[in-house]
Amino acid sequence: MLSENTVKEIGLIRSKYHDAQSSLLPALYVVQREHGWLSPEALKEVGEILNVPKAEVKGVSTFYAMFRHKPIGRHLIQLCTNVACMIMGSENLLNILKDRYGLEPNGTTVDGRFSLVVMECIGACGTAPAMLVDTDFHDNLTEKRITEILESYK
Amino acid sequence: MITVTINRKKINLEKPVTILKAARMAGIEIPTLCNHEMLEPFGGCRLCLVEIEKMPRLQTSCTQYVTDGMVVWTETEKVVEARKAMLEFLLINHALDCPYCDKAGECDLQDVTAKYGPATGRFAEGKRRHPESFDDPIIVRNMERCISCTRCVRMCSKVQGAYAISMVNRSSKTFVEPFSGGRYDCEYCGNCLTVCPVGAIMSRMHRHTYRPWQIEKEADTVCSFCGVGCSMVLQVRGNSIVRAVPRETGGSNKGLLCNRGRFGYDYVVSSGRLDSPMIKRDGKFRRASWSEAFTYIAGRLKKIKEDSGGNSIAGIVSGRCTNEDGYVFQKFMRAVLGSNNIDSVASFGYAQAQRFFEGIFGQGVTANSMRGIPNSDGVFVVGGDPTAVNPVLGLQIRAAAGKGVPVTAVGYMPGLKIFAANRPMPKPFTETALLSAMVTELRNIKGISGKGLFDKLIKDIPPVSLGEAEEVCGVPSKDIRSAVDALSRMTNPSIVIGMDIIRRTEGQANLLLLAALVSLLNSRIYLLSELPNEQGLTDMGCLPDMLPGGRHLTVESFRRRYEEFFGVDIPSSPGMGIMEMIEAAHDKKIKALYVMGEDLVYSMPDSAYVKAALSKLDFLVMHDIFMTETAGLADVVIPSLSWSEKEGSYTNLERRMQIVRKAVEGKGMEEWRAVSEISRLLGFNMDYKSSGDVIAEIAKVSPLHKDITYEDMTGECMWPYKGEPLRHGISLEDIEMPDKGSLLKRPEKDRIYIGVDKPLFHFETLSRNSEALSSIAPEPYMNVGKALAGRLFLAEGDSANVSTAAGSLKLSVRVDPDIPDNSVMVPDNFGDKGVYAIMQWKVNSALKAPVTDAEGVTIKKMKHAAEEVAV
Repeated sequence: MLSENTVKEIGLIRSKYHDAQSSLLPALYVVQREHGWLSPEALKEVGEILNVPKAEVKGVSTFYAMFRHKPIGRHLIQLCTNVACMIMGSENLLNILKDRYGLEPNGTTVDGRFSLVVMECIGACGTAPAMLVDTDFHDNLTEKRITEILESYK
Repeated sequence: MITVTINRKKINLEKPVTILKAARMAGIEIPTLCNHEMLEPFGGCRLCLVEIEKMPRLQTSCTQYVTDGMVVWTETEKVVEARKAMLEFLLINHALDCPYCDKAGECDLQDVTAKYGPATGRFAEGKRRHPESFDDPIIVRNMERCISCTRCVRMCSKVQGAYAISMVNRSSKTFVEPFSGGRYDCEYCGNCLTVCPVGAIMSRMHRHTYRPWQIEKEADTVCSFCGVGCSMVLQVRGNSIVRAVPRETGGSNKGLLCNRGRFGYDYVVSSGRLDSPMIKRDGKFRRASWSEAFTYIAGRLKKIKEDSGGNSIAGIVSGRCTNEDGYVFQKFMRAVLGSNNIDSVASFGYAQAQRFFEGIFGQGVTANSMRGIPNSDGVFVVGGDPTAVNPVLGLQIRAAAGKGVPVTAVGYMPGLKIFAANRPMPKPFTETALLSAMVTELRNIKGISGKGLFDKLIKDIPPVSLGEAEEVCGVPSKDIRSAVDALSRMTNPSIVIGMDIIRRTEGQANLLLLAALVSLLNSRIYLLSELPNEQGLTDMGCLPDMLPGGRHLTVESFRRRYEEFFGVDIPSSPGMGIMEMIEAAHDKKIKALYVMGEDLVYSMPDSAYVKAALSKLDFLVMHDIFMTETAGLADVVIPSLSWSEKEGSYTNLERRMQIVRKAVEGKGMEEWRAVSEISRLLGFNMDYKSSGDVIAEIAKVSPLHKDITYEDMTGECMWPYKGEPLRHGISLEDIEMPDKGSLLKRPEKDRIYIGVDKPLFHFETLSRNSEALSSIAPEPYMNVGKALAGRLFLAEGDSANVSTAAGSLKLSVRVDPDIPDNSVMVPDNFGDKGVYAIMQWKVNSALKAPVTDAEGVTIKKMKHAAEEVAV
């Protein structure tokens, strides 16, 4: 069930667009912000609110990589492993995440605190290695720094 | 004038079309996979690439329009090389399992690969794997074969309007899926099967039973699952139908079918089919020979006629019977038995509505081509969901909406939910109030001269204000106002009328109000017809007061024409209608009833009453293909042929005459043949060797069908055929002006009303015998609104008892927020679990039609099988 606020926000989004289809992507963002992922029930509900057929909602949401269709942890770590970050030691950071939190790419910690996704370039090659935690950006990562940063996310 | 040159061939065009179209017009074939006649151009598969002079790159001919002076080459080395490359890409992932793919032999990809494709691919990686989905009872999906042309998705959303499937995921993981990922939650029209160019979406019904080149026979016929009569082809191997496919050109459906037509044909091979005449003696049926059965029937009828007169015999024809059956049967009743007691289920509303409108506007006023609907500038729908009753007609309304034509749908119509701009939702059975207010408003806006006879009548309709209507029907004044405003702006609207609005206490008032709307808006009328030949039976004189050709029996000169033709006198006074017959049987006023293919017990309200009436008859003859409840009560049962086993003609709701052709051999006998055998035994010679002989006679005697032949019916055989249309004088004397009180009849407070649900997946009680349709919609149900469900603590899937004074049914509950409050909808397709089993017998005396409103019910939730919870 979507919260009352989310439903309201989707209604507001809908009013800003000429047709329902256009309001679908921003509406899905709002739902993902609330739940962390898009469950089939949530997709169906969004479709009902916007009057967009549910099959179409599914088609759109599965096309875009930024929408998640499996539950994830409370915080999402997106660690870059592209060329610059790799050279600057992102693979070691992956090992640290595995050793310390038992976190594998596309996995979630047992306590549901973190999920990890390995990213291609996030545009921080000059200050590599870098990662996103939820929507916060962190660069110049070292073994020490990554632990400190992650400890601030409960 | 545009001149384009394709492969040195000069083509002159009036209007710009795509290169692909221009080429096809000139007989030049360009290969395509994603393009389809019924769909908008897409430009996805890149196989139709062509070279255009002065353009640097190859262009997709399906999306590129021709311009004057354009020079196009469709088979240059560059083009052929590009096609080969595209196919190499497509075949990277396409499973090359042609040896056991059902599509092999009629697969577009196979054909184009044979012509252009590489013999081997250069990709060393393995193909993508995706297990074939058998989650659905009817449709099997094999996404390893899918080439992502999106034809199915475009068909489903843009043409069918079901929006049931979409392309999910991206790149090489793109698959076509319904929302569930497994079973479909769709209309099962199967039009995705028509357009799939490969074997990705296939029917399970004929899986691995034949190869396309093993089809031995194709019967070019029409569907018999509703009054639209879609043209279709039955493909036959051995003596069995392997599949039903639409014919892509001609007919009213233009390549579309619905679930019933495409998958419902399997009732033909259901195990319960009757294969021999049966005579009941001492309460038990035993098999009899044809001649024994005919002799028995003739003997009994002769005796009854001698003892009690022809008027004590009545006949009922099913809406599934052909024109030939209907004609011969009414001739038999009138000329041989001397009775005008002949009627059909068309008189449950269709015949009355047509007669009413024709009385006012002239004969043929309801004969309008369905394809006109998308070309009108507004659609008004009332009295039933067209997308369920006449699915392919419903698609025309969706197409209209897709073009931006405003659609107003009055009442519960799930199939038009996302298509209707206006959806006034009156309280149960209060459409009369809504229509009255609309007529009042439109009368003020449009103004009426008051000169014409009907104009005078419109003027006399008691005025009903928006406020008064709102108070009764619950539709806010402003919504009625906006519906009226939308309608008043239209210049050539279509009004689509379902029979539910006629089967009412106020049925005649509703007809008058609708006629007023038609007149005020100058609109075309479309009557929804639940059965394939309601129109045909009406035209064939299967009515107590009409003769073939749509002329009244009491018109002396006309009756004489038939008397001379038949060589005997016809009783001059009209006979009994179907409702009167049942009542007369109950009162023992008729002795014998001859029924052709109608399961009266479950197709009329109050099963117990109908059963009791039929049991009181001295003699009941039944023609049917199954031992129905009604057949079980008969003294003699004659096995009939299903529509796929006989020849004949149907007249659809547009009044289009079409041929039904034999695809397979059946064990029964055509009704007309059996009836003429019996007629001969009664001393009246009917010498028809084939259905062609019957139509030849009809063409000779019926002025409407003058000179018509089967050859005429292969094309656009539309009313008035070659005949003389009869413009009736306006006959308004029978029309009773309703008083204001009846226009504003309120629903009883706190009463829960029961209504007839017409589900898309079923067709009278016949579809229960189709495994395919039963697997889609297996169980009877009751449909309730959200508020009522809340008050009764009912949730989806619960079991509940719904009861009336006539009986009660235990049904599973469906909750649909769109059902008006205080009403429950139950389908009529499930025999003793259907709505008619518990609906009381009520007749509209003016229309002689059943009344299905005003029935109060109580609903009780069943906690467990035995325990009841009173609420």
